Amino acid sequence: MFENLFSDYSLTVGMWDSVRVTLIMSVCSTAISSVLGVFLAIMLEKHSFKGKKLVVRINRTLMGAPPVVIGLLTYILLRKKGPFGDLRWVFTIKGMVVAQTLIITPIICGMVYSYLVRTAPKIRAFAKTMGADKWQTDKLILSEIKNEIYFSIVSGFGRSISEVGAVMLVGGNIKNRTRTMTTAISTLKSAGEFEAGIVLGIILMIMAFVVQTLADYIRKEASEDENY
Amino acid sequence: MKITDLKKQQGSFALNIKNANFEQGKVHGIIGSNGSGKTTLSKIIMGNLQADSGSIDYQGLTPRDITMTGQRPYLMHTNVYNNLVYPLKVRGHNIDETVVDYWLEKAGLQDKKKQYALSLSSGEQQKLSFIRALIFKPKLIIVDETLSNLDPDSADLFERLILEQQQKDPITWITISHQLVHIKKICDMVHFMEKGDIIESATPQDMFVNPTNPSVIRYLSNTEVSFKK
Repeated sequence: MFENLFSDYSLTVGMWDSVRVTLIMSVCSTAISSVLGVFLAIMLEKHSFKGKKLVVRINRTLMGAPPVVIGLLTYILLRKKGPFGDLRWVFTIKGMVVAQTLIITPIICGMVYSYLVRTAPKIRAFAKTMGADKWQTDKLILSEIKNEIYFSIVSGFGRSISEVGAVMLVGGNIKNRTRTMTTAISTLKSAGEFEAGIVLGIILMIMAFVVQTLADYIRKEASEDENY
Repeated sequence: MKITDLKKQQGSFALNIKNANFEQGKVHGIIGSNGSGKTTLSKIIMGNLQADSGSIDYQGLTPRDITMTGQRPYLMHTNVYNNLVYPLKVRGHNIDETVVDYWLEKAGLQDKKKQYALSLSSGEQQKLSFIRALIFKPKLIIVDETLSNLDPDSADLFERLILEQQQKDPITWITISHQLVHIKKICDMVHFMEKGDIIESATPQDMFVNPTNPSVIRYLSNTEVSFKK
């Protein structure tokens, strides 16, 4: 079926490899960002220090930072002559994961931090009345906001699979190696291969839909606490 | 429990309790107008708020002996059963299902054991919070307006629970309430708060029937309940 639908050119673009690269990059960067983002959010909520407001503001700014700027920064850091040039990560999936991690971590951190600021003080007060120690209290806080944490992670993943600017800059859009679905669509468009581009777009949309459905399911679970 | 020179400044409000004594094993009621410092005091006793100065002599009670239940209790995002046994789990106690069922039955929640706790009605949530505070046998319970939202039957039930507990194994209760009938019925001592201080401590009889303090008389005259025979 696909052989009829796509021209030779669209197949030579490396469409199916782009799906593989997208999934590897998104899963890896989301996993790393989840650990970092949740940890940083907990630390930020738990500790008071001079300049905390500024740190929160910077994090919020980074949540909306243009990915292409982050991509450029990552490229400068990873390029051969850059401070991390010895790693040889530029134009590799590893480099793309670094860029994506820099984009997603502030998003997950910011979302989890917002939930924590709203709920952690109440949970701590409750835990005290129950006789919980510090470790039990931290465990309870994480357990109580687990749905929100899942939701943040799913949002981060959604952002990751749909990103184009940073991965193009850092990955270089190399066929079968660093070409993601979004950069493949961009390439197909440049070649006038709109049909293949649309099919790839539909696959991407289906992935985004699955991720969004998962997020909605989690949100629904979380909203079951409504009283009657 | 003895309180000496306890001070806490919160914005324009200042808690300043010179001396107060909460005898162990008794039911204490704290009354007073809104903003008189009742909840602030309860939070400090619980350890959820730090006093600026002064001291509380807990007379051997440890933080794990004290618990508190409020008007809007916090319920965990899980079912009724898990909420109820949480303080037991925290203490590493073995969970005796007969004890769990006993308390659920007392609160009329036996059919809701596996129900999501936050889907209970507000009255049921308060009942759950109340039995959760009792299940691990604390030595001091602070009850901050918990009985306010209960229907009369449920409020009677909890009054009975408190009195039963006191007959069986007396513990110290500090009950904060505007429901003076309830306070009069269950308390051994009543403490009247005004402007951040406990200005009068007396038995319910002396506080409600024969008040002498002008502030107490003024407060009682503003309530719709008459205790005069």
